[in-house]
Amino acid sequence: MISDRVKKSLKRELNHSLMAKIGIVLVLAIMLMAMFAPFFAMHNPTQQQLDRAHQPPLGVTQTSEEFRFVDGERQIQEVTIQGTAEHPFGTDSLGRDLFSRVLFGARTSLMVGLFGTLFAVGTGVSIGLVAGYYGGRVDDSLMRFADIMLAFPALVLAIALVGLLGPLTVRIPDPFVAAGLVEGMPATFVFPITLTIVVGVVNWVWFARIARGEALSIRQEEYVKAARSVGASDWTILRQHILPNSLTPIIVLATIQVAAIILLESSLSFLGFSGTTLSWGFDIAQGRDYLGTSWWISSIPGLAIMFAVIGINLLGDWLRDALDPGLSGEGGV
Amino acid sequence: MSQARFLIRRSLQGLLVVWGVITLVFLLRFITPGSPVDFVAPLDASPELRAQIAINLGLHQPIYVQYFDYLFGLVRGDMGFSYIRGRPASGIILSRLPATIELAVAATIVAIIFSIPLGVLSATRRHEPTDYAATTFSLVGISTPNFWLGIMLILIVSVGLGILPTSRRPIGLIPALEMLIFQLQISGIRTWIAHMILPAVTLGTYFTAMIVRLTRSGMLDELGQPYVKAARAKGLPETLVTYKHALRNTMIPIITVLGLQLGSLIGGAVITEFVFNWPGLGTLVIDAIVVRDWPIIQGALIVIGIGFVVINIAVDALYTKLNPRVSYE
Amino acid sequence: MSVHTGEKPLLRVEGLKTRFFTEEGQVNAVDGIDLSINDSEVFGIVGESGSGKSVTALSVLGLIESPGRITDGHVWYRSPELVESIGADEPSAVDGEYVDLQALSPRVRRTLRGTHFSMIFQDPMSSFNPSLTVGEQIAEAVESQQRARANPRSVASRTQGYGLSSFIMSTVMPSKRYVKEESLDRAIELLEMVGIPDPVLRAEEYPHEFSGGMLQRAMIAQALAGEPNVLIADEPTTALDVTIQAQVLDLLLELQEETGMTILLITHNLGVVARMCDRLGVMYAGEIVERGTLHDVFNDPVHPYTQGLLGSIPDLDGTRDRLQPIAGNVPSLLDHEMPDRCFFADRCPKAMQECLEKPPEFGIAESSSHATKCYLARTSYDETDALTEDYFSSETAETQQIESDGGTQ
Ligand code: SF4
Repeated sequence: MISDRVKKSLKRELNHSLMAKIGIVLVLAIMLMAMFAPFFAMHNPTQQQLDRAHQPPLGVTQTSEEFRFVDGERQIQEVTIQGTAEHPFGTDSLGRDLFSRVLFGARTSLMVGLFGTLFAVGTGVSIGLVAGYYGGRVDDSLMRFADIMLAFPALVLAIALVGLLGPLTVRIPDPFVAAGLVEGMPATFVFPITLTIVVGVVNWVWFARIARGEALSIRQEEYVKAARSVGASDWTILRQHILPNSLTPIIVLATIQVAAIILLESSLSFLGFSGTTLSWGFDIAQGRDYLGTSWWISSIPGLAIMFAVIGINLLGDWLRDALDPGLSGEGGV
Repeated sequence: MSQARFLIRRSLQGLLVVWGVITLVFLLRFITPGSPVDFVAPLDASPELRAQIAINLGLHQPIYVQYFDYLFGLVRGDMGFSYIRGRPASGIILSRLPATIELAVAATIVAIIFSIPLGVLSATRRHEPTDYAATTFSLVGISTPNFWLGIMLILIVSVGLGILPTSRRPIGLIPALEMLIFQLQISGIRTWIAHMILPAVTLGTYFTAMIVRLTRSGMLDELGQPYVKAARAKGLPETLVTYKHALRNTMIPIITVLGLQLGSLIGGAVITEFVFNWPGLGTLVIDAIVVRDWPIIQGALIVIGIGFVVINIAVDALYTKLNPRVSYE
Repeated sequence: MSVHTGEKPLLRVEGLKTRFFTEEGQVNAVDGIDLSINDSEVFGIVGESGSGKSVTALSVLGLIESPGRITDGHVWYRSPELVESIGADEPSAVDGEYVDLQALSPRVRRTLRGTHFSMIFQDPMSSFNPSLTVGEQIAEAVESQQRARANPRSVASRTQGYGLSSFIMSTVMPSKRYVKEESLDRAIELLEMVGIPDPVLRAEEYPHEFSGGMLQRAMIAQALAGEPNVLIADEPTTALDVTIQAQVLDLLLELQEETGMTILLITHNLGVVARMCDRLGVMYAGEIVERGTLHDVFNDPVHPYTQGLLGSIPDLDGTRDRLQPIAGNVPSLLDHEMPDRCFFADRCPKAMQECLEKPPEFGIAESSSHATKCYLARTSYDETDALTEDYFSSETAETQQIESDGGTQ
């Protein structure tokens, strides 16, 4: 499916683009993190240890004032806590290990990003292809519908849908725990279904537009007419001629959409609409109340989001520059 | 086709979209699990009381009757009564609108002021430190979740440095201006600005970063065009070549993209409002969703949809004005 | 058309080298060319595409952009007026009446564009900004040249009232525009001068509303805005309909006679050369391989490449206007692929052993009016010296052989 020419141009672009290399490394790192989270984590991310709450990250010393009652008298005491390697990213207000939470949070983000995008690509491409290929009234009504969808800002629509439909989740057993390879880790992983479908639903229009445009232009090509004249079915023509041609822009857009959906997911989790509590956005929301004392609770998960999204965006730039020079917008000689 | 007719047609199309938006928003209530009554009625309400509440809310009618009631209500500017506050939804929504518009406009201004010069510099000084700084900034900017950025700004600027307030803003732009004009009091506007800076930066950053990217790549494209070489050959100074020729043509496609991306501005505004406890539509919607205050949810979503459609028509108008080749189709 | 003096040319290009530093390697687009162009003459540069003739034109104007750079050579321009105005600031660039454009600072050089040198391009449609009216674009040229003349040294004065803020203001307030009313009037005069009917109306139109021929006239008008001494015309008629080509060429000749400017005409079309030029240079692989008067070169071509171009019978009537295809490929200009021999040898029907040893130079003994970079200029052709016909094909075969041997070892 991937031709040699494509491979070559991917390689060439990779060779002289430091940014592409950084992107690949970041994305791979985060994927590994997400996949093998139970192995890297040192604590169960959901386990509360109230006596260890608000521990600062490794290398940070935190001084705070604490009220104590000594002999019925209220006293103010200075307490100094030092970050330890036990909790390299510190702990949250309930004493949960942030490092483990960041690792497991990657799972939520990546899963929602990937499946949400797949959902958007699936629906968008099929609708777009049908609209562009058949044209006429089918096209008109589908594209009007797309216009209406576009009239809602994706995030607003997603907030409304997820907030109203309610957070439906499934618990997927963790294969490593089930196989007995690790202990003390959560046995299941909470996958937010409503959220995934909604982020897909609010993003399908872009794919529909691309697929429709390609289908419209290719429909007129001689070889498609020829295929039709020899009796190829619509389905065959769509699959064999039109789909492969629209693949490049779809892949490029899908990559960038994964990043957008991760941002969307974190926003919804931040609002508390996602149904899972093991998510970067959720942790940022948790930390908001403790900005004055424990800055790391909000800061660190945010950095995780940022690096993940930067990585995916760089990957998208690389694919775009390599696969579709027309899109890159770099000035010629 | 003339420009006026093009705009009229575009507006009619917009009206159609708005109608679709209204219908969709209306239907939203029927795909939502649970009845609105659950949220309004006391937990121990008797079935009779529940039925009475349903009648009060107009929920006993068939869907189509409710739909047309709602539609005709909208035409008269009536969005029903808030379930929770018992006041007309339209009034509540309208009172929240200025804060959101002020925020969005401020963020757009921030974005335009910083992004276009940065994008141009980045393109004209390609492969120089300025360019690397600008591309790095724009990459980070489009990759940072804005709610987190807002929190970090609060952490650093308000908590850390102790400047700029984070409390809910006490005064809107219009009262602040009234104070300035009628009482010659500058404090109102000062307070307004102090409360505006962080939210505007939070919301504007993503936009700034995106326009920097678009401007840079667009400028690189335009600067490679033959007409740029010709402009240089006829002796035009470089500033003129850059700004009057290349930038102008760069802006034409950027404007269309911006029109589409305004959605992310509005979406971002909702979240930014939530972070800064901003008294705008965004916080209103989120609060209403949590308690299922349907008239407010529907009204606010419709207002946002209409706003977006209107902005897009305005963008189209600007586009046709800037681009002489457009054929008004 | 004047009789050239030969002693004090207006423009003397010496050893000009322009290179592009691309990913594939260094491209020697212009590889050390020498030219002298006289006052009020039409000088043609002919060659196939990819021979470096357009790059030569851009190099003279100083419009080479990254990754290209002029690495060597001088462009001497005779202008006592210029010597006077800048001599004090840039003494190193001045030699008698001549100024070395290459030695000037980019700022000063920029001020010469439009006023001393001007250029028209191949494709008028892409050489005008599509979103500004034609009148405005010509008026811009007028305006910037007036500012340049009023204050030749200050770049600031020329850009005054223009920058980002003015750009934004100018979209809102018409009074903030760079172009003044008088410049627009002058633009209309210029349009009239190049024979555009209804110039007042047409000035208000956008490039896409013009036909190709009319737009090329408009470009000529734009180039004349600053009354330049030298007009460089890069393939001025290639993009036009055949029927209009002649009109545009006639217009150029007319204007040349009226104003007495010098025209440097870049073309691949021998018919155009025959019609327009007083003298010409033939370009091949980044070098001028033959130069002389039109008469000399057409009647008595020495270089086998020129001979090939002209076909067996040179013909001044222009009936044979297309370049005759010459067997073989246009040479690669990549530095590491350029052989250390006559670049034409692999396509030359008369190549000799000598040609492979060292690249030929312009003969000293030749008259200055007709010179050739070819060994045949001093030895007459003797068929027995010629290499066998399949010399180059066997050469490549041999190298391939060696390479594959090396691979198996
Ligand atoms: S120098 Fe030799 S190879 Fe080159 S053109 Fe002259 S005869 Fe041909």
